[in-house]
Amino acid sequence: MLKIKKFKIFREFGILVALFAMVIIFTALNPIYISFNNIIDIIQQSAINGLIAIGITFAILTAGIDLSVGSTLAIVIVVVGKFLTSGLNPIIAIFIGILIGFLLGVFNGLLITKLKIQPFVATLGTMSVYRGIAYVITGGWPVLNMPRDFRNLVSGRVFNIIPIPIFILIGFAIITHILLNHTRFGTYVYSIGGNEEATRLSGVNVEKNKVLAYGLVGVGAALAALVLLARLGTGEPTAGQGYELDAIAAAAIGGTSLAGGKGSVLGTFLGAILLSALKVGLIVTGVDTFWQFIATGSIIIIAVYLEHVQSQLYKK
Amino acid sequence: MSDQEIIQFNNVTKVFPGVKALDKVSFKINKGEVHALLGENGAGKSTLLNILHGVYQGYEGKVLIKNDVIKFGNPHEAIQFGISKVHQEVSLIPELTVGQNITLNYEPKKKLLIDYDKMHEEANKILDKLHCNFRSKDLVKNLSIGEMQMISIAKALFHDAKVISLDEPTASLTSSETETLFRIIRELKANGITIIYVSHRLEEIFKIADKATVLRDGKFIRTFDVEDTTKDELIKSMVGRDVSSFAKRNKPRRFSEEVVLEINNLTLEPHFKDISFKLRKGEILGFAGLVGAKRTDVVRTIFGADHKDEGEIIVHGNNVDIKSPLDGLENGIGLIPENRKTQGFVKNLNNANNIGLACLENFKDLIFLDHEEKIENSKVFIDKINLKPKDPLYLTRELSGGNQQKVVLAKWLSTNVDIFIFDEPTKGVDVGAKQEIYKLLEDLVAQGKSIIMVSSELPEVIGMSDRIVVMKEGRLTKILDYKEFSEEKIMHYAMEGTDVEDKEV
Ligand SMILES: Nc1ncnc2c1ncn2[C@@H]1O[C@H](COP(=O)(O)OP(=O)(O)OP(=O)(O)O)[C@@H](O)[C@H]1O
Ligand SMILES: [Mg+2]
Repeated sequence: MLKIKKFKIFREFGILVALFAMVIIFTALNPIYISFNNIIDIIQQSAINGLIAIGITFAILTAGIDLSVGSTLAIVIVVVGKFLTSGLNPIIAIFIGILIGFLLGVFNGLLITKLKIQPFVATLGTMSVYRGIAYVITGGWPVLNMPRDFRNLVSGRVFNIIPIPIFILIGFAIITHILLNHTRFGTYVYSIGGNEEATRLSGVNVEKNKVLAYGLVGVGAALAALVLLARLGTGEPTAGQGYELDAIAAAAIGGTSLAGGKGSVLGTFLGAILLSALKVGLIVTGVDTFWQFIATGSIIIIAVYLEHVQSQLYKK
Repeated sequence: MSDQEIIQFNNVTKVFPGVKALDKVSFKINKGEVHALLGENGAGKSTLLNILHGVYQGYEGKVLIKNDVIKFGNPHEAIQFGISKVHQEVSLIPELTVGQNITLNYEPKKKLLIDYDKMHEEANKILDKLHCNFRSKDLVKNLSIGEMQMISIAKALFHDAKVISLDEPTASLTSSETETLFRIIRELKANGITIIYVSHRLEEIFKIADKATVLRDGKFIRTFDVEDTTKDELIKSMVGRDVSSFAKRNKPRRFSEEVVLEINNLTLEPHFKDISFKLRKGEILGFAGLVGAKRTDVVRTIFGADHKDEGEIIVHGNNVDIKSPLDGLENGIGLIPENRKTQGFVKNLNNANNIGLACLENFKDLIFLDHEEKIENSKVFIDKINLKPKDPLYLTRELSGGNQQKVVLAKWLSTNVDIFIFDEPTKGVDVGAKQEIYKLLEDLVAQGKSIIMVSSELPEVIGMSDRIVVMKEGRLTKILDYKEFSEEKIMHYAMEGTDVEDKEV
């Protein structure tokens, strides 16, 4: 039905409007905000959170959650870091990193589907286990001195202008968008989140599709890990702490329902951009760090409230 | 407005995106009468009730109660005003006691704390009035659906209800529970309480209702005095044409001797034990029994929704181990479940996706899903089941109850399974749609498909089946051939289970 389609687009349109409003306000306060470099900066800053958030959206859509993304990121960082410093070809190292992320996600998925542990609890557990593994691998020390060629490959700039992480983010967004909207897997993800029992009774292999969804969360975290590793040049086993919260926030702002079944890649993508636009804006306009926390939290609550108001309006 | 009128609807119109659910509906309801609300699926019955009960605020026209125009902001205001509703999907909190559920939000207090003694005392008083044999301190989760419905009525009485409406209350009740409900409705009526009663079972209307208002396509058609009308007249005004209300076979029987499904000693403790029967090609095999006979558990196990403990499931001569619905589907078995909300459709998907959900692999071009083809496919089945509205992109949850049931049917019709298991296929569907579903069953067997049909409506199993399996408390007590069908026989095996003459066979 036309009306319903319009409504869906409207949701993402709402975030765009909020984004523009924010840009106008910050620009009025400090014109540097709208400069090309600053905009590039905003998008680049959103890359890490955006990659994780897009991944986590898949878990949330199935009515689950993945709290272990930050720790997954840490493992990928230190393992890939170790391989790189021991001279492995960067391309191969990148593939290994993505594979590790996928497998760690799959492991979460298996805990949830085979052992029937609730996603929140299962990934709360692996959040700690994965973090511990990252420490064990390096003995607690950071992995230093990433080779230049790897750093240029992942976080260099195309034509010296546009940072590569932006392409990685957009590329991942496009692929996952297609997965979600144009494959059976995508339909199943939505339908598992909407009514798992009815989906199972329709002869759908719910377990397999859930495990794949969590695998995808791991891939998002692994891509974020590669970007972070390349940008910093060192791999800390402490990396990524608290990243799950920013990722969930981006998804929620983007209209993903934590009850499952509702949300989109585009929404989460815009949610991540909005969050980093806000953070950069607060810095550019010289807002006190303490107030930055308050502003960020308020935006999350307001965005989700507006979403609620809007869906009520639609009901009537 | 005269003294005896309590509710008056005045040009009530309600528009949802794309549908006019109610179109200038005007009629009145008298105090202390049982007023039935009739109409096809999607006629607007539930919508009208939702307006009366404050669920929807945005509508045109007026609702008057005792001469005052009312506009409730939410269902709570309506309840406090004495307008209560007994939901079809019982909305109670299972982990709380009966008393806590009845007094929820209005618990008697002693200073700041809840006065539990008083709560249970008050609740028990109401339960006594309703002749309930459970007590205020019982946990709701241990009660049957019928008992839960009594709690909803008790809740209404706790709030001094003047008007109680019941939306398809008997759809999941046993026949004895239904009788109890009717007795209570009569008592409420004797106490001056007005009852609004929605049901697709017309026999019930003649047992219980004084007046019957018919809606069709959101429009008011007529209010009948039940005494002065007939079933056929009611049906005609609901559907707009003559429709039979009987379940009967119109085509010659089709079954062959070829066995498509053989069940041997199927057991799932503690539900059922030693179930054995054969399903023949082109046969409609009915399953009869009282509620609690575990018919649903048996068919769920055959399909793979539950996993058997012991026994054999032989499909087309192959002994298969069906562990999941996916296995069932791959062996050509489909189950249309009893509870459409929790098991049938997915609430955030549109009709095309819900209909295509069990066979998405058919709409593939390379790895991508072909949305166009999926929508085209759903259109074919939307036509076949005569869905209202006929829109593949409509969200299934926004359809009326009966139309949601049709979507679940369509999902399985669009797969290529050849053994269909229907669990209460006509639950909540209107008379016209019932006939369409019966015709559909006959079409399926005419195409050489085979059907197992669980139904609690005796006329339906008797009218449609070629043979009937009767169950009692998890045991198969008898298989009857269509030549020997009778309500008495079925009830005998469903209740007694014994069979003296056949024992030695
Ligand atoms: N929330 C909603 N959003 C959009 N359309 C709706 C919504 N609720 C009901 N409708 C539409 O309004 C019409 C009337 O629905 P209603 O539920 O009142 O029918 P009903 O008479 O109760 O039918 P049934 O016997 O099947 O329960 C239907 O066409 C339905 O699709
Ligand atoms: Mg209804």
